[in-house]
Amino acid sequence: MELAVDAAQSRHLPGFLERFAARATRMLDAKWGGVMVLRGRETDLYQANSSENPLEPSQHGALVRLAREHRREIEVRLLSTDSALTSLTEHSGAAVVLVPITASDEENLGSVCLLRDRGTLEKNERNLLHALASHAALSLENFRRFSQLERSKRQWVEDIDAISDYIVVHDRSFRIVRTNRSLASHLGVPPVALVGEAMSSLRQIGETGSELPCPFCRDTQQAREEYVVASPERIFLVSTSRTPGVSDDDTRTIHVLKDMTDRREAERRYRELFDSIQEGLFFATPDGRFLDVNDAMVRMLGYGSRDELLRADVGPHLYPVPAARERFLRALSERGVLRNYEETLRRKDGTLLHTLQNITAVRDANGKIVQIRGLMLDVTEQRTFQSQLQRERDFNQKILNTTQSMILVLDTAGLISYANRRCFESGYREDELIGHRLVDWVEASHRTDFEAALETTAHGHQVENLELRVRRSDTSMGHFSISLSPMRDEQNLVNSVVVVMTDITDAVLLQAKLAHSEKMASIGRLVSGVAHEVNNPLAAILGFTDLLLENPAIPENAREDLQIILHETQRTKDIVQDLLSFARQRPVQRELVHVNNVLRQTIKLRSYDFASHGVEVSEDFDENLAPALGDAQQLQQVFLNILNNAYDAVQDAGQRGHIVIHTGRSEQNIEVAITDNGTGVPDTERIFDPFYTTKQAAKGTGLGLSICYGIVRAHGGEILCRNNEDGPGSTFIVRVPIATEAATTAAIAKEAGR
Amino acid sequence: MTLQSEFRAPSPILLIEDEPSVTAFLRAALERRGYAVVDASSGAEGLEKLDGGKYSGVISDIRMPGSVNGAEVHAWIQENRPELCTRIILITGDTANSDTQALLAQSGTPCIEKPFRVQQLLTIVERTFGKP
Repeated sequence: MELAVDAAQSRHLPGFLERFAARATRMLDAKWGGVMVLRGRETDLYQANSSENPLEPSQHGALVRLAREHRREIEVRLLSTDSALTSLTEHSGAAVVLVPITASDEENLGSVCLLRDRGTLEKNERNLLHALASHAALSLENFRRFSQLERSKRQWVEDIDAISDYIVVHDRSFRIVRTNRSLASHLGVPPVALVGEAMSSLRQIGETGSELPCPFCRDTQQAREEYVVASPERIFLVSTSRTPGVSDDDTRTIHVLKDMTDRREAERRYRELFDSIQEGLFFATPDGRFLDVNDAMVRMLGYGSRDELLRADVGPHLYPVPAARERFLRALSERGVLRNYEETLRRKDGTLLHTLQNITAVRDANGKIVQIRGLMLDVTEQRTFQSQLQRERDFNQKILNTTQSMILVLDTAGLISYANRRCFESGYREDELIGHRLVDWVEASHRTDFEAALETTAHGHQVENLELRVRRSDTSMGHFSISLSPMRDEQNLVNSVVVVMTDITDAVLLQAKLAHSEKMASIGRLVSGVAHEVNNPLAAILGFTDLLLENPAIPENAREDLQIILHETQRTKDIVQDLLSFARQRPVQRELVHVNNVLRQTIKLRSYDFASHGVEVSEDFDENLAPALGDAQQLQQVFLNILNNAYDAVQDAGQRGHIVIHTGRSEQNIEVAITDNGTGVPDTERIFDPFYTTKQAAKGTGLGLSICYGIVRAHGGEILCRNNEDGPGSTFIVRVPIATEAATTAAIAKEAGR
Repeated sequence: MTLQSEFRAPSPILLIEDEPSVTAFLRAALERRGYAVVDASSGAEGLEKLDGGKYSGVISDIRMPGSVNGAEVHAWIQENRPELCTRIILITGDTANSDTQALLAQSGTPCIEKPFRVQQLLTIVERTFGKP
């Protein structure tokens, strides 16, 4: 501890010590006297009459050195002649008397120092010195205490002034006793200026609505008060303490005004952010209770208010699958932080909410999770959209996969970039489609058409029902209906072409058949009408020719002419008869016909001709063939006609003729295929048209196959012709329905009843 | 024509045919063979004549324009002149017609298909109506 002497008080202390030194010098009859006070490493020296006898520096130094020597008792030291101090006495045998000044706690405070002419000390002198030293110690201690008190009081004021909070102390009559510097500078006055003023003068700091003379007092009976006062500009937290005293004078009320404006502002901003943010924010306990949530969170979960959400034990309701909550807690416990954690929650009304959460666990010192903080995004819409998209995609995929059309996507260069499942089901391999040009599959003669269509589509136009022949995976050619649609990118530019291809070969054949049968029917109607109209004049011509020939008056040469008329009329009659045979749907005999037998009989009719002309006929019969229902005579006419044609065709071909007759069952029909290796048929479509013939004029009327057509149709069957793909010649196919069981039974009964 | 000859002559054949050239040929052929012929150019006229006269037989075309065709003539005779039922010969240019076929099949009435030879006609006429 040191005796720090305040600069402000030092002028009182030196005076006292100088007077003290003078008094001691006088009382003890010393030549020189002084008091030396230790102040840390410094030593202050106070002497009597210092202005009259200033010490030389060497004397000062010597005295200080002596004073700093520690001693407990009074010491008398004789001065040597060379001592700097000898000049102070002007007497040989002088001595210095050093009396320690010791504080009550034994601290060495300094020394009283006297120079005397003699080196002895009387007992009473010694007692006096003790008394002086005690007095000096007491005085120094008192002074030190006073100075400490003073200093601490000043420090206190400084400390209070250093506090930025406003502090004001008033007495019971609401007069200001003290304010700190912050408050005074807020009002623009020195602190002392406010002392004695009424507290009401501080109303300008903040309007509190208080009825009392002090704006900051609310209830003067309370020892302590704390509340927030908000003025338009500032917000204060007012803490009030009251010290009750025995009199009005010592009753103090202390107001500390803490300016909360900034803190409140920060809090307000935080809250505003917390509530205005569109993402849900929450603080929750690990057991599923919300501690705080923002408005977005309340809205997301469909609750009426924040309080409702905070009140309810929403944990169990929130998780539609309780296991999901456990999984969440486990994951959080393991990782501490969960990023983009997907969770499906349940709103208050039970609807599902898809969320994306970022969660942080707050742990205590033991690592136990004490709080869960998180941010939650409502991704229901995206999720719904996504699942809708997925559903749509699945749906489209299903359509693509189940459609009976082949769907391909071509890039602008015409290369296949996608092919649906149907393509592969049709036998095409992925490696021969993807990355290849579709046009290469198109029949050579149709490629320019296809490329033109592709070009059209690339310009943004649709091409529909383009009918092209396309090579199938088994290398056969199929008839396809092809539609091309442009597909556009975001910039509305055509970036690919969707090609829908449907194999319509069967449909085309069916349509051709239909068209053909329709044509034949209309020819039939026409022919029937013509034949009937021709028959009347023909009847007259033939009749009158007969009558003329019966007339004996007709000369011989005219008779010859009449014979020609008669002959040609007969020929005309035959043609008309054939036409009518083709046209009429003659009611066929309904009896069981064994087609194999009919064919054998027919072959027998021509076997001589065939054998003699080197035409070989092979039978390839299905011996278990069911019977047909019809007219054996008419069917024989059909087969004979076809055989005759085949015979003529192989004769014309000029090579060894070979005719194969095949019978078999084809679905509900009996199928007869008669194949020759002859010249083939130039136009298989028109072969059944009346008067269509490939033969020389004399060889036939051109109605033979037309009649066959009529007969087969009347049997409910069909007849068609095609050129052989694997060699020369042609094949005629006749199909007639197999007799149904009921028809067979009826026919057998009828035969039996005959 | 004399009364005597009228008396001796049997009833004429009624010929119903809309085609004049065919009528002319049939009349010529039949008269040359000695038959008397009365003709009608439509079914309706034929029925009128049938109603107002006596005939040894009827030769009728089947397909004729107008309201009455051969089948109806045939039906009228069956109804009103049963004695003539077996003395009808039908002529047709179109056996393909299903109505015609039904009529022929059902009645067993002889039918001549156009065009025909004179001899074919006379054979059927003699067999059905007897010699003149």
